[in-house]
Amino acid sequence: MSSVYKNKALRERKKALTAAWIIDYFLCYYFLFSAYFLIIMFQGYDDPAEELQVKTLIWLFPAAIVMNLIVSKFFSTPGKALLERTNKFLKGFNKEKTESRSFLKSFSGVSILILIALTFIIGFKVTNVSLYALFNKDGLRGASRIVNALANPNLNILGEVLKQMLVTIYTAFIATAFAIPIAFLASFLGARNLMKDSLTSKITYNVVRFIFNVIRSVEPLIWAIIFSIWVTIGPFCGTLALMLHSVASLGKLYSEQIENIDDGPLEAIQATGANKIQVIWNAVVPQIVLPYLSFTIYRWDINVRMATVIGLVGAGGIGKLLLQYQGQGQWNEVGTIAIVIAIVVWAMDFLSARIREALS
Amino acid sequence: MTILSVRNLNKYYDDGVHALKDVSFEVKKGEFLGVIGLSGSGKSTLLRCINRLIEPTEGEISLNGQSITDADKTELRVHRSKMGMIFQHFNLINRKTVLENILLGKLGSMGTLSAILGKYSAQDKKRALELLDIVGLADKAQKRADELSGGQKQRVAIARSLMQNPEILLADEPVASLDPATSHSVMKYLEKANKDLGTTILCNLHFLSLVREYTDRVIALRKGELVYEGSSQSIDKEWFSKIYGDQAKEVEIR
Repeated sequence: MSSVYKNKALRERKKALTAAWIIDYFLCYYFLFSAYFLIIMFQGYDDPAEELQVKTLIWLFPAAIVMNLIVSKFFSTPGKALLERTNKFLKGFNKEKTESRSFLKSFSGVSILILIALTFIIGFKVTNVSLYALFNKDGLRGASRIVNALANPNLNILGEVLKQMLVTIYTAFIATAFAIPIAFLASFLGARNLMKDSLTSKITYNVVRFIFNVIRSVEPLIWAIIFSIWVTIGPFCGTLALMLHSVASLGKLYSEQIENIDDGPLEAIQATGANKIQVIWNAVVPQIVLPYLSFTIYRWDINVRMATVIGLVGAGGIGKLLLQYQGQGQWNEVGTIAIVIAIVVWAMDFLSARIREALS
Repeated sequence: MTILSVRNLNKYYDDGVHALKDVSFEVKKGEFLGVIGLSGSGKSTLLRCINRLIEPTEGEISLNGQSITDADKTELRVHRSKMGMIFQHFNLINRKTVLENILLGKLGSMGTLSAILGKYSAQDKKRALELLDIVGLADKAQKRADELSGGQKQRVAIARSLMQNPEILLADEPVASLDPATSHSVMKYLEKANKDLGTTILCNLHFLSLVREYTDRVIALRKGELVYEGSSQSIDKEWFSKIYGDQAKEVEIR
């Protein structure tokens, strides 16, 4: 019997070592990439990113494998160091080695510091950080002109602005409202502690979490573009985009809340012979109602802000109006819109913070 | 008559820890059996294996001759509904009232829909109030569970488990987070359930003085092995150091 578990431990250790190898491989590739970037940069090109050769980048893949093999032969690498600290099957495997020196003095510490330094250098170059552009005279004059106009809003268009602001607020409201029941039901399937009993439930858990992550990692802006082609531009496309994104975001938050509940009541209700649905209804739901409400209100608040932004790509509302006036350079009108948005966002923020405070 | 029998029970956790090693014992109908041992000796694992809140790895457990270990999901629910359980941390549903908490004991024998709608029969409600009276909290029925003190919560938990009309009560360190005086009051209610209602009790305990005072018989675990089985009165110094190690000194709770 115990040999089965020894095998299991060995298998887990192998898995962890593979994960460590992948991390190290990625770091090696990143190091070679950085070196390549620096070489091009010091040849004096203005925009080194433009000069990167795809062919070279592909060649770096096998090169990184070789580098990883060599480096990991002689040193304790960052990936291994990371997993040794986090994975219980690797913990204690190399005890003296990891504890004898402080992390920053070890090989993995030094290499991580070098990589961070390289990232800063390349990052400054890529983003064109320039004090000259920031304090250029012409630029400053232009900026002051716009700020001046913004500070003198054209209040004649206030009626139109408020109308479009209402569209935006309702967009956010409907998107949130429809996202709630879907996210609520999905969240139970996405909570690890409820889905660990059988293989089917484990698979469901992983599928649901994967879908949440995919939907969430695509910005509402992109979803709005997709839906604008599907249902044509207008507030409905914005509503759909926000709803989809909210389902995934709320679903993830809800699921994590379920994972954080106290297991005790769960055990107690299970012990009475209750079935799964009864356990969830009586032991899980009472523990999550308040946090759910609080997340949801916060989400509505976020959605109002998001609805403004996705208006820019055709989802209607205040964002569309903003784009119109900005395109025509009518800065006084833009100023009016900016002020209305600021007031609404501030009010939503204030309201949602107060409600959440009252709930907790 | 044997009500619960445990044979060659083994439990390995995923990380390879061998928490129970070939544990075998029987519980007789109507007895108050204590389980003692150090923290980490496997007492909690043992209790949770009996109603399969933790899946046993090997071995055979049966209630009234019917196998628990071989039961499928539906059968397991029936078995569980016949075994009440109370916990060190009470595990009440804080946002529900005391009465609602007690009625939860009925879940095992209810349909899903009526449980969600909270449709308990008048008979169940009457029984819940009776039990509340038995544990001396008749005036607290409509209070929220989180307004009660620790000892009161544990008494509600006892009432909840009695609501199941259990054939056996599994008590996992029921007084370990209570002060000495409250401990005795809670133990007295367990004793009452045992003597007056005839409920068989299997109870994990820390203090030998409680074991001597309340239990009929005792088994002891050490590092997952059953090292002692016998009358609660006959645990002497020698056995004590076998169970708890040579360094240990007995502490009493009065």
